[in-house]
Amino acid sequence: MGEVILTMNDIDKSFPGVHALDHVHFDVNRGEVHALMGENGAGKSTLMKVLTGIYTKDSGTIEFEGKEVEFHNAREAQDAGVVIVHQELNMVGHLTVAQNIFIGREFKKGFRIDDKKMNEEAAKLFKRLNIDIDPTATMSDLTVGKQQMCEIAKAISHEAKVIVFDEPSAALTESEIAELFKIIRDLREQQLGIVYISHRMDEIKVITDRVTVMRDGGYVGTLITKDCTKDDIINMMVGRVIYEEPKTKSLVPDDAPVVLKVEHLNAGKMVRDVSFELRKGEILGFSGLMGAGRTETARAIFGADPKESGDIYINGKKVEINSPEDAVKNGIGYLSEDRKRFGIVVQKTIAENSTLATLEKYMKGIFINKKKENEVTQKYVDSLATKTPSIDQLVVNLSGGNQQKVVIAKWLVRDSEILIFDEPTRGIDVGAKNEIYKLMNRLAAEGKSIIMISSEMTEILRMSDRIIVMCEGKVTGEIGIEEVSQEKIMNMATREIS
Amino acid sequence: MRKKVLATLMTAAMAATLFAGCGDSAGTDTASAGGDTATATEGGSTEAAAGDYKFEIIVKSYQSSYWQAAVKGIEQEAEAKGVTVNCTGPNAESDIADQVNMLNNAINNAPNGIGLAACDQDACLDALQAALDAGIPVVCFDSGIPNAPAGSVVSTVATDNYSAGATAAENLYPALKDKIGNGQVRVGEVNQEATSESIINRGLGFIDKFAELAKADGYTVAVIGNEKYVNDSKAETVAEADADIVIEVAVPAQTTVELCATEASAIMNKSDTIGMFGSNQIAAEGILTANENLGVLGDKILAAGFDAGSVIKSAVSSGTMYGAVTQSPLVMGITTVDVLCDAASGKSVSDVPTDGYWYNADNMEDPEIAPNLYD
Amino acid sequence: MAGDLKKKSIFAKLGGQKFIVLLVVIVLFTFFSIASQDFRKYTTVLNIFDFSYYIVLMAIGVTFPLITGGVDLSIGTGLICYSLAGGYLVVHLGWPTGLGLLVSVLFGILIGFANGVLIAVMGLPPFLATLCTCMITRGLGSICSKGFGISWPTTGAPGSWFRSIFKMQIGGTKIPIGFIWILIIVAIMAFVLNHTKIGRYTIAIGSNKEAAVLSGINVKFYHIMAYVISGFFAGLASIAYAAVFPTVQPGTGAGFELEAIGGAIIGGVSATGGAGSIEGTLIGVFVICLLKTGLPFVGLQANWQQIITGLVLIAAVLVDIIKKRREAK
Repeated sequence: MGEVILTMNDIDKSFPGVHALDHVHFDVNRGEVHALMGENGAGKSTLMKVLTGIYTKDSGTIEFEGKEVEFHNAREAQDAGVVIVHQELNMVGHLTVAQNIFIGREFKKGFRIDDKKMNEEAAKLFKRLNIDIDPTATMSDLTVGKQQMCEIAKAISHEAKVIVFDEPSAALTESEIAELFKIIRDLREQQLGIVYISHRMDEIKVITDRVTVMRDGGYVGTLITKDCTKDDIINMMVGRVIYEEPKTKSLVPDDAPVVLKVEHLNAGKMVRDVSFELRKGEILGFSGLMGAGRTETARAIFGADPKESGDIYINGKKVEINSPEDAVKNGIGYLSEDRKRFGIVVQKTIAENSTLATLEKYMKGIFINKKKENEVTQKYVDSLATKTPSIDQLVVNLSGGNQQKVVIAKWLVRDSEILIFDEPTRGIDVGAKNEIYKLMNRLAAEGKSIIMISSEMTEILRMSDRIIVMCEGKVTGEIGIEEVSQEKIMNMATREIS
Repeated sequence: MRKKVLATLMTAAMAATLFAGCGDSAGTDTASAGGDTATATEGGSTEAAAGDYKFEIIVKSYQSSYWQAAVKGIEQEAEAKGVTVNCTGPNAESDIADQVNMLNNAINNAPNGIGLAACDQDACLDALQAALDAGIPVVCFDSGIPNAPAGSVVSTVATDNYSAGATAAENLYPALKDKIGNGQVRVGEVNQEATSESIINRGLGFIDKFAELAKADGYTVAVIGNEKYVNDSKAETVAEADADIVIEVAVPAQTTVELCATEASAIMNKSDTIGMFGSNQIAAEGILTANENLGVLGDKILAAGFDAGSVIKSAVSSGTMYGAVTQSPLVMGITTVDVLCDAASGKSVSDVPTDGYWYNADNMEDPEIAPNLYD
Repeated sequence: MAGDLKKKSIFAKLGGQKFIVLLVVIVLFTFFSIASQDFRKYTTVLNIFDFSYYIVLMAIGVTFPLITGGVDLSIGTGLICYSLAGGYLVVHLGWPTGLGLLVSVLFGILIGFANGVLIAVMGLPPFLATLCTCMITRGLGSICSKGFGISWPTTGAPGSWFRSIFKMQIGGTKIPIGFIWILIIVAIMAFVLNHTKIGRYTIAIGSNKEAAVLSGINVKFYHIMAYVISGFFAGLASIAYAAVFPTVQPGTGAGFELEAIGGAIIGGVSATGGAGSIEGTLIGVFVICLLKTGLPFVGLQANWQQIITGLVLIAAVLVDIIKKRREAK
């Protein structure tokens, strides 16, 4: 391991209402793979964005090769030799591999772009990395894994000295990961500093030299990978959490019938052989790290994404759900994690939103029966205690919590018996959160069955009667609220599946 | 391709620019539409004999020099009489809905009279009823509106288009006579549209007169092509296969030169075509454009045009075009303002027919013809 | 190596849409020639060429905004506006013809630049921005010519040399040399699209703008350039229009852009941006021009011509969509 190449000292960054980075320290040595870990929202990505100039830091210093630097954009960082390989691929699908690698700094012969030279240089680069890709292939014809290799090659071609890999393995197959690790080891040999962001505990153990853990925007500590155990790291990531009235026992009666049964559901890479049961009056928590496949599972059940295989039973009867329309007919309601995009029509009134999924019930001939619509809307505004001056208020003017209530009302109007809450309190302030929680508890007590997808540990522990943990598209654990602990969940969420 | 969704959207959105395109925006009361030749009554004495009459005049478009000449006549006479005239008009003669809109706006301005050159003979009927209810006399010029509510249109100042079209046939037929009789021959007619009375009448006048003259010489005639013209023609016809003379009528989808040219060249390309008639400036220019490549006019095919403009004038004087019928838009404009003044002052008025004149290379410079040949 | 690539369809190997569209052109030409003896004449070919130049030029230009995922609706009315402005200077103020033509082209570049700034810098949606400049140029055209139609010097008159740019009379025969210029321009612009930064970044913007930004490309500049090219070609098209038609009438031009855009899309420019070729656009425009010129010859009434052209366009867009779906699998 060589000398220090990059040091980030005392980095502080606030966004309105959020202290995103709280005096964080981080450094990388030449010839080192340094893991950066933490739960969702711990501040890893923010820190890397500060490093590459996408965000401006409020205070603190960045030293690169012994000199203090401040990059103003990704290009400046790139030119200096600090490059990020993004999780989302940034490739121009219609251009060739070589054209993508050298985009923005093409070789030229007069006016003409020298594609021949670019192909040669790309070939050299691939040879150096021991990658077998044709530089003249069109990017969109490559598999995701190969595209990622191209991203890496592009990073290397910038004379990179520090490369940040942001969850590089998320979309790769086992053999592609093996190939990736080979490349990373080669780069380490060449004395590059490598930052490796990942959730996969086992990868961390295999590929990294040191681990820095962040939590809630703060720096927790740095460990030598080979000297620590997986549990050490998990403990640092989880830390001391204030439990807000955690549930201690399931409120579901022992004889409650199963209302929804999912068997061997497969849908793309992110939903692999998922099976579970949901009982009447139950709140079933779905936990896991970002990208574990929970939302994808919900969307597949709801018919929003196509299924490859698997059966769904409602009240013991097998049902075919191929579209959201089918799901709604079968009494399933889905509250999307992204309300503004999928949940509500913000420029419409509460009344219009409430009856959106059930409009045919409120028609008089070809006209909408405004009176009936208003009656039912008022009923749910009252019963959900939605705070609004009137039901003709545009939804865009409501707070996040009250918007969420409008979405809930939409599904209650529809008499949905099964409600899927995907991140129900995202972007909602604390007071409103409690109200949503109370409402969910009340709905469960009234006999509605709820699937709650949440990335917030406290929310999972507070609301669920039972918890399903997912990792990489598979169910890796199921645990009753009585015997749950954060550590157990985190263990399951980072479990290696092979 | 045209008139698809985008085009529809655009046309709707373009109502706004119409005003920018043709003169002062609503509210100003000077007659400066189109050109800047007249600035009317501003600053002048208000004691003028004709009083403080305010007229709204709507032309078919500002597309051709023909309408420019009409507007010029209107403005000249307005200044001479000391009345205020606000001139408007849509961008193209096919923008029927825009024109109806303008007519309604004009009625809302409560003028002492409205002058109207209607793009479509039926589209304005409701608006004319509204004008009648509001007690505003309407004077139609250039094109009449035969089905107008009784009493709404007090006078029509127009070329007798039917006889003007016939004039073209009267002059073209004798020149073609030698080529008729040895097998079937074809005479083409290009009309820019099939909606306005003036164009329809010109087209029909030509067809009917041509057929009449042919019949007198013992030839049979068939009329084919655009249904409107085929059905409305009063000519005695026979089946196409049996006819000595086939009159083929083409109407493009839009009133643009290049579409008229495309239609014209399709007819002019046929080996049996001996004559062409273009019933207004755009249609006649379409025939001339088609001839750029074909080079058949003046020799294999004789063409008659309608209206003037520099292109048609030079074609007539060089002999490329056999001749053309012209109206006097200038006189029509002047007469319209006169009739409006009479109507506003309560005098009884009646229809004023204006003439169509045949001109060719020989008589273009004649003093009674030359002033009507606007550029 | 081959295993890394998804399989290419036979369709793609044959040059994709371009190949099919070229077949369509040949089939159409053959059909019209058989259906109408008047169609298969040299003068008809001359006509098709004459009436195609201005659309081809507009289409070459608008291919660039289309590839960025945008559109330029201002080229049709713009063309008329530029020609009226230049023509007014020549006909009424006595400027030399060359200078008037130059003004037309510069005017086009200016409006193109304005479009680019509105879209790339101010963030207006291309449809809206160019719809506005479409209306503006329509009005400006009337103002430039004081509402009058403009007749550029007619063939034989002094200053009419520019008409022979597109058609030369050698002996008794007229030669459509304009088509040679078009081929040269197509070659140049195909080079620009495929082998220069402007072209490459135009594709990058349409394919993945975010990636282009993150690669440090001055995306705003190249985005503006796409519209400047479009405006420049609308300016060239205005010369072609003035050279072929006797008069330029204010208030016309709306609808020309749809023929150009339609041609480009038939020729394989992706309706969602990122892909397209200049040679494809050329062939696509000829489908439209053939239909426009040929259908009257087989005795079809004008309104049916438009319906058929619309149907052909739908077919072209469907081919694009089906192609994408297949690629996605």
